[in-house]
Amino acid sequence: MKPAPFDYVAPTSVEEACAILAEAHGGATVLAGGQTLMPLLNLRMSQPFILVDISHIAELKGIMRIDGGARIGPMTRQCEVIESSALQQHLPVLVEAVRHVGHHQTRNLGTIGGSIALGEPAAELPAAAVALKATIEVRSIRGTRNIPAAEFYLGPYMTVLEEDELVTGIRFPDWSLNHIALFRELAQRPGDFALAGMVGAMSIESGKITRAGLAWFGMGPTPMRASAAEQKLLGCSLNDIDPQAIAEIAITDTAPFDDPQASADYRLTVGTRLFANTLRDAISIREAA
Amino acid sequence: MSAPGNPPAQRTSATTDSEQQNGATKAAGITAGRYIGQRTPRKEDPRLLTGRGQFVDDISLPGMLHIAFARSPIARGAIVSINIEVARDVPGVHAIYTQEDLASFKVDMISFFLVSPDIKTTPLADGRVAYVGEPVAMVIADNRYIAEDAASLVEVEYAEEDPVVSIGDARTGPIVHPGTEDNIASQMGEEEIEEELAAALKSAPHLITHKVVHQRISQSPMETRGVVVTREGAQELTLYITCQSPHLVARWVSLALGLPQTAIRVIAKDVGGGFGLKNHPWKEETAVILAALLFDRPLKWIEDRYENLTASCQAREQEMVLQVAFDNDGRLLASHGDYSVNNGAFPQLSESNIAVHMFLWAAHKMPAYGFLTRGWYSNTPGYAAYRGPWGMETLIRETALDVAARRIGIDPIEIRRRNLLRLEDQPTESCMQVQLEDITPAECLDKLLANFDVAEFRTEQEAQRKEKRYLGLGIATYIEPTGGAGSIPTMTGELAQVRIEPTGKVTATMSTHSQGHGTATTMAQIFADRLGVSYEDVTVFEGDSSRGGFSPGAAGSRQGVIAGGAAIMAADLLAARVKQLAAHVMDVTPELITMDDGMLRVEGNAEKSRSLAEIANIAYGEPDRLPAGFESGLEAQYRYQPPPMTFSSAANACIVEVDAGTGFVKILRWISSEDCGTAINPSVVEGQISGGLAQAIGMVLMEKVGFDERGNPTAATYKDYHLPAISDIPDFEFLHASTPSQSVGGMRGVGEGGAIIGVPTLVNAIADALVPFGEVPVELPLTPTKLLSVIEGRDLGEKPAGEQPVIAASQPVRVEVTPAVITTDESTAARIDGDWNMALSTPMGAQEMTGHFETSGEALSGYLSSPEGQMAFTGTVTGNKLQFDLRVVKPMKITLKYNLEVNGDRIAGKCKMGIMGSMKVSGQRAP
Repeated sequence: MKPAPFDYVAPTSVEEACAILAEAHGGATVLAGGQTLMPLLNLRMSQPFILVDISHIAELKGIMRIDGGARIGPMTRQCEVIESSALQQHLPVLVEAVRHVGHHQTRNLGTIGGSIALGEPAAELPAAAVALKATIEVRSIRGTRNIPAAEFYLGPYMTVLEEDELVTGIRFPDWSLNHIALFRELAQRPGDFALAGMVGAMSIESGKITRAGLAWFGMGPTPMRASAAEQKLLGCSLNDIDPQAIAEIAITDTAPFDDPQASADYRLTVGTRLFANTLRDAISIREAA
Repeated sequence: MSAPGNPPAQRTSATTDSEQQNGATKAAGITAGRYIGQRTPRKEDPRLLTGRGQFVDDISLPGMLHIAFARSPIARGAIVSINIEVARDVPGVHAIYTQEDLASFKVDMISFFLVSPDIKTTPLADGRVAYVGEPVAMVIADNRYIAEDAASLVEVEYAEEDPVVSIGDARTGPIVHPGTEDNIASQMGEEEIEEELAAALKSAPHLITHKVVHQRISQSPMETRGVVVTREGAQELTLYITCQSPHLVARWVSLALGLPQTAIRVIAKDVGGGFGLKNHPWKEETAVILAALLFDRPLKWIEDRYENLTASCQAREQEMVLQVAFDNDGRLLASHGDYSVNNGAFPQLSESNIAVHMFLWAAHKMPAYGFLTRGWYSNTPGYAAYRGPWGMETLIRETALDVAARRIGIDPIEIRRRNLLRLEDQPTESCMQVQLEDITPAECLDKLLANFDVAEFRTEQEAQRKEKRYLGLGIATYIEPTGGAGSIPTMTGELAQVRIEPTGKVTATMSTHSQGHGTATTMAQIFADRLGVSYEDVTVFEGDSSRGGFSPGAAGSRQGVIAGGAAIMAADLLAARVKQLAAHVMDVTPELITMDDGMLRVEGNAEKSRSLAEIANIAYGEPDRLPAGFESGLEAQYRYQPPPMTFSSAANACIVEVDAGTGFVKILRWISSEDCGTAINPSVVEGQISGGLAQAIGMVLMEKVGFDERGNPTAATYKDYHLPAISDIPDFEFLHASTPSQSVGGMRGVGEGGAIIGVPTLVNAIADALVPFGEVPVELPLTPTKLLSVIEGRDLGEKPAGEQPVIAASQPVRVEVTPAVITTDESTAARIDGDWNMALSTPMGAQEMTGHFETSGEALSGYLSSPEGQMAFTGTVTGNKLQFDLRVVKPMKITLKYNLEVNGDRIAGKCKMGIMGSMKVSGQRAP
């Protein structure tokens, strides 16, 4: 378990990084926090010619308030999101999702951008980005693209990111301050990838749901946006919602598979329950408040 | 929700400690002391917890090179060609070896029992590969990075063949090892249930047929395998190797490589867990040793986790069908077991686990038991031990008893009480002729139930079920043979060498070895106690074959029992010498002297007190002051040979909640009530039990080595091979019974028990929780998918064991049918008379012998001769069939019934060895 030989570069600016990526013609891999990449290198499942360490690029770090939301630099460590009082206030779902990423130790090094860009289908952060309608900002020497998270993922570990592109920011729009946060996952051990999980948010104005974002993780080849359920929820008042019925609609937007940890049938059965329970609990808490 | 039942039994309470001391007081030849029976802090911990341990990878020698292996990517096939030229050109590569390069060494890859393998086993693949991960070539390079680069460039062309992966494949599939008749690695017992037993089973009021499928397990030591080999000077070969006994490794290497043992030194200061994987070197370690001899530079190989999970020997993977007959009161009438274990391609021992059958019903009033037990070769990594290798007996018995209790309508505790032996029933002998004198599973169960209110739990369980919450209680009991010595060449006594230094401090060298067992602590407690010195003044050395003497180290829950006895005996010999010398110096009789706090005191005469250091100084430095004939110095040694076997007993209870919506299991409470005799250090005992129980939880809920249909491993990292995390392990509660054993000191082994009894305890709890939904098929691990399938009453995708066809004992094994040819034109004498070279397949390997037959009509006479001697017999001849009996007394009194058949120059048949069942005999006419 030693990596194959590679060149190592540590650019200090996004321009420099993009130039290296362009020059490498697909032979470069970006190193962020390394919590997934380092094991893959050691297993020789990843054998890049050039490893581009972006941890020295200051502009890729940090959490910023921007107009209408928050912009998180891809090199922001996961632990920083958990500790951010601004995010705790404005995007509690994101904070909750990050709390479930890996372990305390891996969150000290693991980054937001690394997890978003990797596209592990059972991971929390890509699904959170899809549900919360985040935009992924990517740059290359060819220019800048802003890609809605829902269009970013193509398959397991596959994204629309071109080989010369670097994720430079993830923008999460604000949800109304009284939005309902939804998050739940089922994992065998704390820190494991979820057997099934869901994340979402619902904005409410004048008693009606005006905006809904829902996504599954561990339920298909990518984070799975529950679009049909989102549509169904719009315009509903909380006491009109039948959580079981919504969950049964939401599950139609999944495509889980068998793996040694759980079967597809298991994921469908338990996923529906988990979704309904999460929705039910969130509504009852709001109604009690 | 608070844990149901009454408040937790007090962990580590004063009560249990004082009971412990009472137990110790009663123990043969031992008194409660300042240290024995105390929770003395471990001597090893400050070093280990501050990163100052010395493991193999901590060893770095001048000029040392590194090794990586090129491994087979296919499970079965022939090697067409190996091209190392590209790899050899990688800068920093010193050499690349294949089996061809190692073939000049005649290596005998012997088993733990020192028996040659049944099938040709070589360090590197020899012409064929038989499992994914089998080492094919080895690269020696400046560092591991370069070695791995070059290993990936070794080009091997294979002619791939369809592999044999599962036990089912082995029964019906192609032959794993060319030249063998079938895939049976080892077989004992009867292929058809004997008539009398079959009748007893059939006529019983209740007959339970219970199947258990146990997954394959990776032993997963925290420290993977590894070795550093160096040749020191012209002769001595020094190995730093992570192992379970440096002495056994030295002996193994000496025998396997044909080297004098004096030329081998094995050092293993600290070991990060063994669990059965590290009993002796196997393919890779042997290849590294040979490479070091060939290349003559120090070499290092550290197995990485990928190799450890996919190419190391593995364990378990068993299937068993147990039939148990009961009368209407739930009393046992008869039983039959059909057991199979996957041996992989190159097992460390061709194994069919006879111990499973020996101990299955030993603690119970079971009138009759029969079995068929088989090991199967497959194209998977080889079989090796894992903590409690015979644990299937407890798993299948305890789960079958619960199934029976539900079926018959008896309480699971009551069905155990009706059938378990109690102390007053002993001494007795089991139906498998196991001698039982002082087992206490029933008494452990009593103690457990005295500390746990079952009725209260049942009330709560009932109430919770109405709320759709499913609590379950699992109970299990077991016995375990520990401290075995004398039955197998490698299972010996233990040696203690102890000296009082001229400084008055105590130094001991032991034959023990710790992979976390804390022997440097427990042995020091004994010496401090028996020599009346402070615990801090005792140092115990172990972990080096040049120190102490032979023992197999940590294998079979033995060190506390045997080495503990050795330490007591050696200390007492030394104490007697100290007293003799002190009495001479003080001019009193030895009986008046007491040893305490490093002082020698005379009863009623305080001014005569001397320190141990003063007496030691005299012993070493002032020969004139020694009594006549007193050997100078203060040293003693004792090799303790214990009774052949010492039994430990236990009863455990566990409470779980199963989430009916997800199939997730939450362990709410776990109580261990064990009897390990004298507990030298209750914290060390509880540490051993806790570790074993944690492994049991892993086996029941999540661990699994899996393969796809091409024999590719499906869990290559700990992302996919799930070990229990700390969050999966409850706080265990402990009760200690402490019935002294017959061995010196009264200890009983406790190393493996948790891993054995924990499995059925948890399975039973889960099954009890899910009673409203039906029986839970015992196919481990019990994943959420499997449990939810039971709860929902539909198959969610993982086929439960119950739906697979049950393999009945009477189902014939794959047999090459050769019609019996009886030539009539030849006289009986011409066909049979003369000498035959024959081999008897036994669990200890093939036993070679020569048979001499003389016929006279239907009368047969002759003898069997082997290196052990010659035994005459008489018998009968019918056609080409020979029948004769031999009565032997060693290793036990038994009549061997031979049934052989002659066909041309070949002879084959069976030898029935009483309760041990039948073994295969084959051979040919002596030239």
